[in-house]
Amino acid sequence: MTTDTRQLKTWLAATARKDGDAFRQLYDATSSKLFGFALRILVKRELAEEVIQESFVSIWNNAASYQAGLAAPMTWMTTIVRNKAFDTLRRIDGAVEIDADNFDKEVMDALESVDPTPIEALQISDESKALARCFAKLESLHRQAIALAFYHDLSHSEVAEQLALPIGTVKTWVRRGLEKLRLCLTKLEGV
Amino acid sequence: MTIRQNVRQNATLREMLAAEYALGILKGGARRRLESWLADDAALRFAINEWQDRLNPMSEFATPVQPSPEVWRAISKQIGLKKTEHQNRKSFWLNLREDLSFWRGLGMASTALATVLIAVLLTRQPEVAVPQAPMFVATLTNEQAQPIALVTGDAHNHKMVIKVVTRQAVAEDKSLELWAVPKEGAPRSLGLIASDGTVTLPMPEGSTPDSIPLLAVTLEPKGGSPNPNGPTGPVVFKGAWLNI
Repeated sequence: MTTDTRQLKTWLAATARKDGDAFRQLYDATSSKLFGFALRILVKRELAEEVIQESFVSIWNNAASYQAGLAAPMTWMTTIVRNKAFDTLRRIDGAVEIDADNFDKEVMDALESVDPTPIEALQISDESKALARCFAKLESLHRQAIALAFYHDLSHSEVAEQLALPIGTVKTWVRRGLEKLRLCLTKLEGV
Repeated sequence: MTIRQNVRQNATLREMLAAEYALGILKGGARRRLESWLADDAALRFAINEWQDRLNPMSEFATPVQPSPEVWRAISKQIGLKKTEHQNRKSFWLNLREDLSFWRGLGMASTALATVLIAVLLTRQPEVAVPQAPMFVATLTNEQAQPIALVTGDAHNHKMVIKVVTRQAVAEDKSLELWAVPKEGAPRSLGLIASDGTVTLPMPEGSTPDSIPLLAVTLEPKGGSPNPNGPTGPVVFKGAWLNI
């Protein structure tokens, strides 16, 4: 477990006891990451800010039900933000433009690079760096199919439409891509 | 055999469905069916959690962006946090100062590190004469204790040099602002610093470690804090101000 994870767990546990200061620290440490993510999904600032507001109210109300043994705190909070962002996306009827670059430019460049240094230099958590290292090993279209689903709430057929590919191909690619990520991450954990 | 039994018994199938569920690509009837099994299938729940742990860090591949201060105000109002924004800030600086015993404990280590860094700086800039007047130094670190910037103060020339050793990604509408955190009273702005490279700022009279035990950098709107009495953004790195 990384220091970050341990710290987040401590704040989350204190938040469950309705400790406002700990909740503020949790907010300060995670809100810009979560807001950047919501903004990537919804594009419009007002919508993303609404989602962050609702999500943190939900984190405050449900912190006691967070089970530390199951998922990492950041996973739990990201899932809350993602679900709320997708709810909003459905409400506005998905009128959000989907562009090809799902990731931050620096992340994209780092993933494409044969040199491991750019990934190490990214200002992201250790968990995200590990995932980036494994993403870098995927073919770029497999990576794109997975990213489209993750960021835009797309189904197999919608991803297929975006990439102008048969649905069967997309299904296979996504499955293969996910399996490769799992194997790669397991290997990294073992180190 | 029903699909349900299949998922219970076939670990490969369970993994695949859990992965597609966590990714979000599993939709419609298939998604609802899987959700209806969750309540009494611990193995499936566990597999989904594992996949969320694997995939959710993808969220950090988007550029982080600071939400506006209104978002926090709306949240704290909605959940009925009693403290006002002002009290929060005060308690924050208070906490930082209370941290000082911790900083003092680190003093020896920091001084040693700072001395090494100074030596590096001096060898890199051979034209700089070895200073005679009182010198102060701080190594500013982030939450992960990673050194971000080195600050050296020269009491004789009333100047301080801030060298960023780890380049910072700062949004275009933001600035990094350096603060002197006194033992008592409000923090005082020392000026804006660059996200990379070196900046020289005037050092106000009396900025000795005796009265200013701590330096901190906050993330502010472009051009610095709009509040004349203190910062508005979060502290991004900080360090004890020490005599060497």
